[in-house]
Amino acid sequence: MSDTVIEVEGLVKRYGDFTAVDGINFTVNAGEVFSLLGPNGAGKTTTVEIMECLRTLTGGTVHILGMDVTKDALKIKNRIGVLPQDFNAFDLLTVKENIEYFGGMFDRQLPADDLIKAMDLTDKRDEYFKNLSGGLKQRTGVAISMVNDPEIIFLDEPTTGLDPRARRDVWAVVKSLRERGKTVILTTHYMEEAEVLSDRLGIIDHGKFIALGTPRQIIDTHGTGSRCIISNCDNSCSTALKGQWPTLESKGGDIIIRLENKNALPEIIYALDRSGGNYDQIQVTRPTLEDVFLALTGKKLAAEETESNDGKKKRSKRRGD
Amino acid sequence: MANRILVALKGEAKGFFRAKSTVFWTIAFPLLLILLFGAIFSNTGAGKVDLYVQDLSDSQTSHSFVQHIAAIDSVNLIEINKTIDLDQYIKDHSPTAVLVIPANFAQAFVPGAGLNTTTLLVRLDPTQQSASAVYSIVNGFAEQANLAIAGGTNVITTARGDITNTQFNYIDFFIPGVIALTTMTTTAFWMVSVMTRYRNNGIFKKLTTTPITRAEWLASQILWQLVVVFISVGVIIIVGMLAFNTHMTLNAVAIVTIILSSAAFSSMGMIIARFIHDEESASAAANAITFPMMFLAGIFFPASQFPSWLASVANVLPLTYVGNALRDSMVYNNMSSAVGNMLVVAVFAIILFVAGVLLSKWKTE
Repeated sequence: MSDTVIEVEGLVKRYGDFTAVDGINFTVNAGEVFSLLGPNGAGKTTTVEIMECLRTLTGGTVHILGMDVTKDALKIKNRIGVLPQDFNAFDLLTVKENIEYFGGMFDRQLPADDLIKAMDLTDKRDEYFKNLSGGLKQRTGVAISMVNDPEIIFLDEPTTGLDPRARRDVWAVVKSLRERGKTVILTTHYMEEAEVLSDRLGIIDHGKFIALGTPRQIIDTHGTGSRCIISNCDNSCSTALKGQWPTLESKGGDIIIRLENKNALPEIIYALDRSGGNYDQIQVTRPTLEDVFLALTGKKLAAEETESNDGKKKRSKRRGD
Repeated sequence: MANRILVALKGEAKGFFRAKSTVFWTIAFPLLLILLFGAIFSNTGAGKVDLYVQDLSDSQTSHSFVQHIAAIDSVNLIEINKTIDLDQYIKDHSPTAVLVIPANFAQAFVPGAGLNTTTLLVRLDPTQQSASAVYSIVNGFAEQANLAIAGGTNVITTARGDITNTQFNYIDFFIPGVIALTTMTTTAFWMVSVMTRYRNNGIFKKLTTTPITRAEWLASQILWQLVVVFISVGVIIIVGMLAFNTHMTLNAVAIVTIILSSAAFSSMGMIIARFIHDEESASAAANAITFPMMFLAGIFFPASQFPSWLASVANVLPLTYVGNALRDSMVYNNMSSAVGNMLVVAVFAIILFVAGVLLSKWKTE
């Protein structure tokens, strides 16, 4: 299972003076779920769209299934499946008709009914696309992206704009693709999503990787360590803790202590016990990719919804140029 | 490749027929025009009747005959110089009634010269109610004259001719124009709306991820538009026949012209959609281009009636040639002129199609 299916070397993409992708290197193995994680405008979509042969590259090389994207675009397109960002199909065609429409564009085509079954869309088979909910539309989109029985499937921000339930729905689909042995390339700006779904991921910012590896590796390498939160500490508690951990943070009644080593937690509990003071509970949190991103760039990744909308506008404007 | 084009065409067809209001307006728009304008121009109402007279006799007798007719209140008499080619004049001026006084008219009045019969020819547009009134008037005069000259013997007869036999009345002029117009509006608006919509809602994006090429997709759209245009043309011709008794022949030149025109205006739509990205502004731009063209290209009124500066504007509009080619081939049966106009349409089609394909990129940088 370690055949390399995607090889990206020194990929550069410039739009005039603006460098969208600035020398990216990575490989993806067959059967892996690989995520590109980053804020809007970081270069994720540009990178995947170059891999999908939708955009030209300025520098470097990209090989998909051993084929060069600059030479074999048509052959590559026949062997990959793509769910583009903001996916849409034909409003007045049914789920089945849409699958068959896009299937007709490829050299090989799986039976629409098989895909409908696989994506659990049997009830919606003859429903017009426009009448589907956001989650069902995405599922239809995944079904369409599988219609040519591709070896690699690209999902570009498949959950952006979906409600939490629909988002979970898409996650289940991604997991099922992995179980089928498909290689999946996922882009997202939701950490949790990348953490849950990916075998490996790359965090991208300003067109460069700032971290690359399994979620675990990245957190261990770049994370800030686990933290212990003691909620609603009274005075005697906090005095005792402050004496031993002068660097602790206090927020309201809560006290947050960074766990520098494995002895730290028992020591805290011992100190609390000895102080004889009161507190509500002790909680230990592992750092998330969000924390990693914050630590690496000094900014938040999953920005507010309004901010991400702004980002989108800017990007689509640039795309139109 | 052919398969992809067919799949794309079938997809559009299904979507089109499911959008009931689109189907309705596509078909109804030209029909409304025909019925509206047909009704307005077919019944010029009571008022005065325009009677065109061509006096080939040009004699004292004929002059006094004409003066008698001119004296009738309800007749507005317009003389046509006898040197003018009448058929051409009819084409240019779309009269509803023409009286032709034959060259031998005066001889019928020569006393005692026996029976030199002469025939007044009244050519009428049978779709005009006023036309039969003109015939009665002329016929009445002829009978009076017969009484006066020959005591009732029919020295002067009146023959009823059909202006449509010379292949011209307003509706005959108008229907090929509406067909030309339909090839323009149907295709240009379809293309503008489909391209802006697919670009904005991401369908183009999805299509680019598949092996279909831009040229294949454009071909599928143009082929589909031909289907829609020919459905419209069929309906227009049938309604023209039923409502206005027109007789049109859809010959090879007309068919080729319709195909070329559809390709030309689809391409024009592509070009508009290339430069204006949002759907509403793009369709407003399409309106701004097609609407004046509709009036300036001689669809509603013959360009020959325009002042010369306006006529020269008409000369550079592709729709003018589409209308002319269709009228020449379907109504006037003037094939050499039809082919000439068709070739001009072909040139427009090629230029616009090439420009459209080159300009309309759906692939982003």
